[in-house]
Amino acid sequence: MARTFGEMSIREIQSGLAAKEFSAVDVARGTFERIATADETVHSFLETTQELALDAAARIDKAIAEDRLTEMGPLAGIPVGYKDNMNLTGTHTTCSSNMLRNYVSPYTATCVENTLRAGALPIGKLNMDEFAFGSSTETSAFGPTRNPWDVERVPGGSSGGSAAAVAAGLVPVTLGSDTGGSIRQPGSFCGLVAVKPTYGVVSRYGVVAFGSSLDQVGPFARTVEDAALTLNALSGRDELDCTSQPCDVDFTANLAEGAAGMKIGIVPAFMEAEGLTAEVKAKVAEAADQLRKLGAEIVEVELPHAQAAMSAYYVLGPCEAFSNLARFDSVRYGYCDPGHKDLGSQYEASRHEGFGPEARRRIMLGSYLLSAGVYDKYYYPAQQVRTLITQDYTRAFESVDCILTPVAPRTAFKFGEIGDPTEMYLSDMFTISINIAGNGGMSLPVGLGADTGLPVGVQLIAPAFKDKNMLRAAAALETVYGAAPVAPGFADGKAGA
Amino acid sequence: MKTLEEVFETWEAVIGLEIHAELTTLETKMFCGCKLEFGADPNTHTCPVCLGLPGALPVPNRAAIESIVLAGLATNCDIEKHSMFYRKNYMYPDMAKNFQTTQGPIAFCMRGHLDLDVDGRGANERYRLDALKPGDTDGNITRTEDGYVAHVGITRIHMEEDAGKMIHLGGGEGRIAGATQSLVDYNRAGTPLIELVTEPDLRTPEEARLFMQKLRQIYLAIGISDCSMEEGSLRCDGNVSLRRRGSTGLGTKTELKNMNSFKNLHDGLAYEICRQAEVLEEGGTIYQETRHWDPSAKRTIVMRVKETADDYRLFPEPDLAPYDLSDEFIEGVRAKLPELPDQKAARYSADFGLSAYDARHLVDHRATADFFDECMALAAAEADGSKFAKPLANLIINDVTAYLNAHEGDALSDTPLTAARALALVKLLTADTISSKQAKEVFAAIMDEDKDPDAIVEDRGMKQVSDTGAIEAVVDQVIAANPDEVARYRDGNDKLIGFFVGQCMKAMRGQGNPKIINELLAKKLG
Amino acid sequence: MTQHLSEADVRGIAEYTRIGLTAEEVVTMTADLNAIIDSLAPITEFDLDGVEPTFHPIGDLSNVMREDKIRGSFTQEVALENAPKQEDGSFLIPSILGEGGDR
Repeated sequence: MARTFGEMSIREIQSGLAAKEFSAVDVARGTFERIATADETVHSFLETTQELALDAAARIDKAIAEDRLTEMGPLAGIPVGYKDNMNLTGTHTTCSSNMLRNYVSPYTATCVENTLRAGALPIGKLNMDEFAFGSSTETSAFGPTRNPWDVERVPGGSSGGSAAAVAAGLVPVTLGSDTGGSIRQPGSFCGLVAVKPTYGVVSRYGVVAFGSSLDQVGPFARTVEDAALTLNALSGRDELDCTSQPCDVDFTANLAEGAAGMKIGIVPAFMEAEGLTAEVKAKVAEAADQLRKLGAEIVEVELPHAQAAMSAYYVLGPCEAFSNLARFDSVRYGYCDPGHKDLGSQYEASRHEGFGPEARRRIMLGSYLLSAGVYDKYYYPAQQVRTLITQDYTRAFESVDCILTPVAPRTAFKFGEIGDPTEMYLSDMFTISINIAGNGGMSLPVGLGADTGLPVGVQLIAPAFKDKNMLRAAAALETVYGAAPVAPGFADGKAGA
Repeated sequence: MKTLEEVFETWEAVIGLEIHAELTTLETKMFCGCKLEFGADPNTHTCPVCLGLPGALPVPNRAAIESIVLAGLATNCDIEKHSMFYRKNYMYPDMAKNFQTTQGPIAFCMRGHLDLDVDGRGANERYRLDALKPGDTDGNITRTEDGYVAHVGITRIHMEEDAGKMIHLGGGEGRIAGATQSLVDYNRAGTPLIELVTEPDLRTPEEARLFMQKLRQIYLAIGISDCSMEEGSLRCDGNVSLRRRGSTGLGTKTELKNMNSFKNLHDGLAYEICRQAEVLEEGGTIYQETRHWDPSAKRTIVMRVKETADDYRLFPEPDLAPYDLSDEFIEGVRAKLPELPDQKAARYSADFGLSAYDARHLVDHRATADFFDECMALAAAEADGSKFAKPLANLIINDVTAYLNAHEGDALSDTPLTAARALALVKLLTADTISSKQAKEVFAAIMDEDKDPDAIVEDRGMKQVSDTGAIEAVVDQVIAANPDEVARYRDGNDKLIGFFVGQCMKAMRGQGNPKIINELLAKKLG
Repeated sequence: MTQHLSEADVRGIAEYTRIGLTAEEVVTMTADLNAIIDSLAPITEFDLDGVEPTFHPIGDLSNVMREDKIRGSFTQEVALENAPKQEDGSFLIPSILGEGGDR
């Protein structure tokens, strides 16, 4: 078995293209062949987009023939997959829900558009928890995605398909979205570089909203540099998203600077958190040690209100989701239960059939939390807590350049292992406060857990719009731990189980 | 049912209005770049944003925010620098996102007011206005010579978006009742809409009508909407409750819809007041409900009973940044504020000595006020030009208005009457070249024949005879020919003066100067 | 566990959010929601006196607007492409009598 395109880095593919070792059309064809064999086990792609990818590849090949490859953008010739909550004209955008099973996008999300403009080959749409409600990809209406490291286990979620596709070496880069940890937690479960940039770095236009004030798009990759190159393509002010911000930053600029002289915060309370497994705790401590060896100063910082982040999140997320998902009403698009004589019963049947249990739960929870009298008890205090959490980070970042914490309390769990929704919510205990405050956070793989032998990630957290701080620390750690490996069962073109 | 007048003997009506205006003069919608256009093919002015497609995000139209600030400045509101958009959540098929983007407790414009001049017959609706002398105040009204001024508070004006349009199939006359299916068109969805809410300061249907009329004049003057009540770009809902005279509490209110003309607004409210009085006097209960005014049946009917207050799960719109308007922004908008109808009327009185009544009626319509301004600009070239103001005002308020009323749909600018012709006409009149009776004939001829007044007067030989000698001869003849009438007149029958004037006019084929005839008759008979 | 919501409350919320639940689902939903609401308790236990809310993260954004310029629209065909039912260029829905809202 040979190494596939999906196992290569962006630089490897682009130098192969430049040296005419293979063409972009070869890359596209090879990627689809690889998906056809290996994804049967993983089930990360819901739809592949051969025609679009081959068209894009032909344009890249034309540019290569004219010696213009470098003009084609940072992702020229790179296969990229998209979480299925991102609109791409002519493709299905299902959000892994029966509600949108037949929905075909009439427009393209800005983040997707930006990758296409940067020369990417659009490979297809990736499985997720229904409407991004979940941490395991088990709530997908089209069946779960399997973790390439152990196909009996979940890849994490909600961007589980995006993580699994990269971990299985199907594609080098995918996009996910993160509302409470949905990029970083599957990044940790699948052992990948997975970045949730600061809120506003990447446009949300065209990404089906879950929690509008929390959602942010970011990349999955196997190297920090690939993630940074993808961020270069994704970021920037979008006139179609009021909350996007100008971001004239080269995210690769300081990757080679090393950790020497950086101040890295650790949060003692996080390390003692209930539910944090010993192997994850040991890995985070080890990473801190490595950073110290690399010349960074490790400083203890406090995030005293982080303990309230979980409850603030389970107020704000459902409230925004309730309102965002009201548009799925069987009138303009989406599932329409047949045969109803009045709209009321059509609404109720369509929304009952179209939404899975977790979506229904969050919609109803949000509706309750915003109702008269209840709003002041939960929603308003949650927004006040957001102020306190933001202040915590501001204060912490007065003394450090970034903060090192666990991503998830444990490694990937087995299918069906966690059934209780509130227990599932604990998966995001270390990631959520960052969405609440809005700054950047990422997962970096630091090897396998001593007990489970599964990938463990550490989380690096950056101040708002200083995402390059965490990328720099991550790149330094990468020199110790190496690039993220493709899951062993899928390495060198193997097709798993 | 009792009449309004009878009801007001016992009851006081408390009325508040909610007035929606679409900002039709803008190019695009509130939160997307779709073109604003009335009457296009269904769903041809739609995009991901106004269709509420998954993933779409709103971006506010700067011109719409400028328009609402302009509306606030024109209605004496405080402009709130800090405000936010909110989501008002409820599911209804004409609302693509199933929430309406609107404003929360703080709107762009807060705490404004308009002063209404209520006069003529309309003033009589006010209970016991006669008990007040000019200058007296009672609550929010001040008595004037010919009526009263009502000070009406404006709670707020907020920015929001309109819904799409529905056509109901299978029911009678496109009504929702009995319909088996409906068609939804989202062209109108997302049209910038401003909602003005008044304080419950109105007491009569006439005041409500005048408020709406005055607001319409202002919106037209500042150019933010075409204000077509027929096409629904200006819409009014009324909240009405009754309380016994002397009581200060508030009764249960009903909300009245479908008052899509000034007449319907007045008549709908008048009916609803009388209906509520009847229910209350029979010992019944008023329910908080939405009622629909049916102008053909001349009654209001229940649309929807509100058992509990609606819970719209209002919360700040996370997709839109908050507002922090700068002084520069607000002053920039203020600089665009044109002369408002009230200011124009005050100027007419101050500069041209017009009565308040004349000035107000001139500014009733922007077209007539503009026409008057145009005439006065020409008159400024004449010696003592402002002496033409009063006859010009008379011409516009009486003849022009009557003509436009009789020719419904004609715009003043489309008629043969130009400012130059109007001025020429009043010059003939002021110079006593023609009588006022002849002036009416000349006006009619201008409109019919599209000719200049001087040419008409020339053609018809209409010149007025003001030669005192010639008139005296006629007066002498008439006195000599009617000795009986002269005797009766001298016995005290003053009314006969009209007879003598008429005889003189007849003898002069209508061309005698009535003023001189009157003077000479008075001298010779006296 | 505190009973924040009764089954009747949950039926009310289901009606408001237009999600038709079976009687069995109402029972499960009631239990689930009560458990989740219980877990939200920390938010009610903080001393938040005088703390301003943050409705928009990354706080200093304000006055984001676009110019009043036409951007182009869908054709009618594209607008209706995903419509479950359509007629005469419009979205077709069954009788809406009895629907609520501010109408």
